[in-house]
Amino acid sequence: MKISIRDVGAAKVVEVEGEVDLGSSPDLRRILFEILPTVRKLALNLGAIRYIDSSGIAILIEVLKQSQRLKNEFVLFGLSPAVQEVFRLTHVVRIFQVFPTEQEALETS
Amino acid sequence: MGDTPRRMKIKFSVPSDPRYLCVVRGAIGSLSALIGWDESECRAIVLAVDEALTNVIRHAYHNRTDRLMELECEESADGLEITLLDNGDAADRSKICTREIGCDQPGGLGTHIIKTVMDRVAYEESPEGNRFVASKQFRKTT
Repeated sequence: MKISIRDVGAAKVVEVEGEVDLGSSPDLRRILFEILPTVRKLALNLGAIRYIDSSGIAILIEVLKQSQRLKNEFVLFGLSPAVQEVFRLTHVVRIFQVFPTEQEALETS
Repeated sequence: MGDTPRRMKIKFSVPSDPRYLCVVRGAIGSLSALIGWDESECRAIVLAVDEALTNVIRHAYHNRTDRLMELECEESADGLEITLLDNGDAADRSKICTREIGCDQPGGLGTHIIKTVMDRVAYEESPEGNRFVASKQFRKTT
């Protein structure tokens, strides 16, 4: 799993590439929880994820709940087929703000 | 020469270390595709098997990486059968639960995925340890 982070105005865009599983998801969790309190909006690009398991989805839910406590925004965009499949199986897509593109994810507030 | 078709069976002896999970995923994906499932179904089957292994690592072995899991994946007459053995703590069946649709809590996702993807799921205790058995039937779509 590779993670890269860039600033776009008051937001940060986090790109995740590769496989998110029991071995790699703690790193994703640590990075997202570090960034979240420092930004108004955190946009997570899930377009290059080849695999994600329930530990990865559980982390996205944890980050979402933390963002609600902090009153900032956590949005997802560019869901890869692997992510869409897990979202379909777990029915969690409805609890997230999901956008097709980065531009749309950053435009809404 | 008999007419009984030969079928694929894969046996893994997998250390309870998450870095080996990708090896199993690759093999299960290939076997599922060979049996005839489409890309989406293959992804779901791979995920279900991975979740079963992950459950053992987390709940039976409490994230210890020096234990073993014995996984058998067998092509059957009508699909795929999975058997997973471990020697860790037995699962508390009263706590093996699925989620409500739309639930915003992170727990229970893996079990929900397994039960949604596979047609038959059973957790058993055996002399060899804890046994998880699951199967999925291949249904042709035209």
